[in-house]
Amino acid sequence: MLSLLEQIDSGTLWQSPGGIHPPQIKSLSNTRPIARLPLAQEYVIPVPQLGEQAILAVNIGDLVKKGTPLTQGQSATYLAVHSPTSGILVAVEERASNHASGLPVLSCIIQADGLDTWSLLDSHQDFQPLSNAEMLTRIQAAGIAGLGGAAFPTHIKLNPVSDIELLIINGIECEPYITSDDRLMREYSHDILTGVSIIQQLIGPKRIIFAVEDNKPDAIKAIKKALKRHPINSAQIRVTAVPTKYPSGGEKQLIQMLTGQEVPSGAIPAQLGMLVQNVGTVFAIKEAVLDGKPLIERVVTITGERATTPGNYWLPIGTPIEHVLSLSQTPKKPPQHIIIGGPMMGYILPQASAPIIKGTNCLLLPSDNEMLVEQQEKPCIRCGECAQVCPALLLPQQLFWHAQAKEYDKAASYNLQDCIECGCCSYVCPSDIPLVEYYRVAKSALREQSKDKQEADLAKQRFDARTQRLEEEKTAREAKQQQAASRRKANVTNKDNDVIAAAMARIKAKKDSSPSTQEITAENTAIAHTELAQKTDKKAQIAAALARAKAKKAQMATALNTDITSPEKAQLNANEGAITHIPVTDSPIVDKKAKIAAAVARAKAKKAQMATAQNTDITSPEKTQLNASEGSIAHIPVIDSPIVDKKAKIAAAVAKAKAKKSQMATALNTDITSPEKPQLNASEGSQRSITQTPVIDSPIVDKKAKVAAAVARAKAKKAQTTAAMQPQDRVTTENQTESSSEQTPVTDSLSIERPVLDKKAKIAAAVAKAKAKKAQAQQENKD
Amino acid sequence: MAFKIASSPHLTQHNQTHTVMQRVLLCALPGVAVQCYFFGFGSLIQIILAISVALLCEAAVLFLRKRAIKSTLNDNSAMLTALLLAISIPPLAPWWVIVIGTCFAIGIVKHLYGGLGQNIFNPAMAAYVMLLIAFPVQMTTWVAPNSIALHPVGLLQSIQYIFTHMPQASIDSYQLGVDGISMATPLDTVKTSLSSGLTMQESLQNRIFADGLPVGWLWINLAYLVGGLAMLKLKLIRWQISVGVLCSLFILSSIGFILNPDSHLGPLVHLFSGATMLSAFFIATDPVTAATSLKGRLLFGALIGILVYVIRTFGGYPDAFAFAVLLANLCAPFIDYYVKPRAYGHRISH
Repeated sequence: MLSLLEQIDSGTLWQSPGGIHPPQIKSLSNTRPIARLPLAQEYVIPVPQLGEQAILAVNIGDLVKKGTPLTQGQSATYLAVHSPTSGILVAVEERASNHASGLPVLSCIIQADGLDTWSLLDSHQDFQPLSNAEMLTRIQAAGIAGLGGAAFPTHIKLNPVSDIELLIINGIECEPYITSDDRLMREYSHDILTGVSIIQQLIGPKRIIFAVEDNKPDAIKAIKKALKRHPINSAQIRVTAVPTKYPSGGEKQLIQMLTGQEVPSGAIPAQLGMLVQNVGTVFAIKEAVLDGKPLIERVVTITGERATTPGNYWLPIGTPIEHVLSLSQTPKKPPQHIIIGGPMMGYILPQASAPIIKGTNCLLLPSDNEMLVEQQEKPCIRCGECAQVCPALLLPQQLFWHAQAKEYDKAASYNLQDCIECGCCSYVCPSDIPLVEYYRVAKSALREQSKDKQEADLAKQRFDARTQRLEEEKTAREAKQQQAASRRKANVTNKDNDVIAAAMARIKAKKDSSPSTQEITAENTAIAHTELAQKTDKKAQIAAALARAKAKKAQMATALNTDITSPEKAQLNANEGAITHIPVTDSPIVDKKAKIAAAVARAKAKKAQMATAQNTDITSPEKTQLNASEGSIAHIPVIDSPIVDKKAKIAAAVAKAKAKKSQMATALNTDITSPEKPQLNASEGSQRSITQTPVIDSPIVDKKAKVAAAVARAKAKKAQTTAAMQPQDRVTTENQTESSSEQTPVTDSLSIERPVLDKKAKIAAAVAKAKAKKAQAQQENKD
Repeated sequence: MAFKIASSPHLTQHNQTHTVMQRVLLCALPGVAVQCYFFGFGSLIQIILAISVALLCEAAVLFLRKRAIKSTLNDNSAMLTALLLAISIPPLAPWWVIVIGTCFAIGIVKHLYGGLGQNIFNPAMAAYVMLLIAFPVQMTTWVAPNSIALHPVGLLQSIQYIFTHMPQASIDSYQLGVDGISMATPLDTVKTSLSSGLTMQESLQNRIFADGLPVGWLWINLAYLVGGLAMLKLKLIRWQISVGVLCSLFILSSIGFILNPDSHLGPLVHLFSGATMLSAFFIATDPVTAATSLKGRLLFGALIGILVYVIRTFGGYPDAFAFAVLLANLCAPFIDYYVKPRAYGHRISH
């Protein structure tokens, strides 16, 4: 068994499946030497990388010379762009692109001065002394991209990660009509071979195959002749004439014909140790490395029956196609098709103002009856001719069937991604179905789908992570609560219900004696909060956070209340009920807006629900303690809360929250049954007495009255919430007092000893809890 | 300046569906001519009748479906279906047989499934089977080859028979197996003979056979073979299906013949009697209802050959091809699902 290289040396050629033999029509343009056209007035050089990987290297209004770099960039994929002539950079603006879409692309506009003076070129006599890195730098600086059409940056391609054993120089040019590579090989064979030896030095292949289709005998002759005189090691090089068949010039097909190997799906030839370079690119590499000339012009075939002087031309990159047409097209109205590229894979140019770009190898100007005869699409009869000619061995009619039905996943299962869009299937289709177009649509739909899927996957990951985190937090919280509860339980074990009752009675007595100044209480707390609010500095985000916080509070409240138990529960309810009054009275002071109202409405609904939920599960007396402990836990965040800033929005949000809470309280109230309720009233009474002082202050704070009011309400509500817990707290406290242990069990110093303090403490606790929740909410928001 | 957008490629070969169909029709002409030579002008009248009905029927259906009538009629597919059905049925079958059959083929089998390219079953064969089941007498009464018939049928006589009535004699001759205007087909004759206790050799002594091969049918099959080869040459069809059919039929009949020549027809009789060549090249190769990949088509053809042999040898109907093609049509999607060619770059071992 011969090795691959031996087989190559013996001149073996392999078969590539499929393919067609369309009329060549190359003699239309390949008889004349490559010529030049007069300079255009204006050049349009697309700079699509500008702003992303590149910055402008010259200022608008600057004088540029031929070959002056227009952009600068550092990234590996940066492709340098140069001025194709001397003149002034007049603008950088969006111009129609040379693309099937014609979408505008950012372009440098050069006003030519007609002198066409070169910038200073850094030329070298010899490339041998240059290191690989130097050569690659020169190639990158010259902005060389694959001139076969794909325009992939050459400096990346010439720096492969794996060893390259076989270098293939692609002089196939299998598309009908196009002859730019043909002429280049005939006229610049020596230079091309120099380019080959540069690449040889760069990547050190074991063999080099110079592949030319056998319909270009002159080019083959020219290369062979040049090879005799060229210093390149001709033992390594083989000029191979490949049988004419479209699309043998495709990279994968060429590799298959020359080596019998297939590039694995989704891979690049470098994985097989092979590298394919187009002859035009090779020539540009020589120009760049030896002469220091950047890629600012290329050979373009101008052909078709409409072209007055069909042939090949050196066209500067950026030459407006209109300019070319004005010199080489039979003037004819109405405007006709311009095809960029060959008849098989070229696209129709939407706008003639688009420029020549690095990948433009042909301007095809067909006459009306030369091609593009409109044919109506007819039903597929599954004749299978398309499968016969498919070079990728696909089943085009199956692909079509699924693409037409928009079953893109099924089309993908028929290896749609391996379609090279060569157009053979459409060419032979007796039903005139534009198969390639269907595949393009299907491919882009698949790309969209995979993008969407990626995004959805990410979102799901985020969601899962969040759910997990919340779950963990919840467990942690519950554990904490349980801990606190057990501690408290230990503390209260000795206490007696009678003691509690006594305490209640005392509170009741107090309450009866105190005047009702609920509003004042509200205002008072409000002031305190306004100060807080002033310090604070958060806006919309917080509001959002608050909204969420509300939801949580609601939850929490539910959690709290579900555990409420026997006699104490009643107290709690009563307490809340009392506090509910505050918001009601407050409301006139507070400037209510539509939004808030709406929010409140919504909130109400929620709370009402919640309230109902509350009363359903009632448990043992120990639970009360738990509640109380929560109240105390809530104090901790109080310290944090100053960090959290509140503003008007927050206030509004808080106000809403209050409204909700008050509702909740109301709901609770309805359930009150036990005799302890009066005690609660007593406690309220004491609250009121505390609040009187602030009344005097409130006018001073008039400015922020609204905010304050809002905040106040918020607090009031929070107080209510806390109040829900505090009865127990108090009870505990009092119990303790009675049992002559003055210290609160678990509750911290804030919710303490004297009834008077007690009230404050309650409020504080309430505020604290509210804040804690908000803080949490914010944190979550940040997360 | 703005131009209309069209997708590449901008070149196409000028081999359109209607030219393909047209060429297939032309390639069938030698067979039709030989058939007329042996069985009189009945087939020709049936063809004319079938094509007219097919075009009318298709136009009517297209009108009902609100589709372009003229461009669709121009694709010649209805004409081809009509031709294939017309040359499959007995040349002197009453006119309403072909009319019903054609309407069924075009209206129901083709258009109810969505028209050209969408039908699951081969329209001509589906119609043939329908007629065979619905009108067994008319469909099994074949004309005796002119060369051995006592009363060769002329053009006018054919018209008369088709549009008025079949001579009563036909049934007698069918039953008696003697000469008349019409008689059973060779395969039918053998079937009947075998079931009545005769050996294969004795069966082949019937006048309908000459040197062990059916009179007339041999030449008809050869003519269709020539037409089929022409289609291959013109690349109107690919060889896979035809070769699959003929090879499998040949191999199976050879095995049967070698094992038990007394009760099995020889491979040559199988290949050159009945509708073998017509089906192998013109009917089974209908791309719409066949498998799509080349390997799949080979399998599809082989399946038809196997079914034909089984039905001819063990089944009740000697007209095996229609059934075999329909059964294979049913299997086509299944074959397509499992026989996918390896795409470029998807080598199993690398």
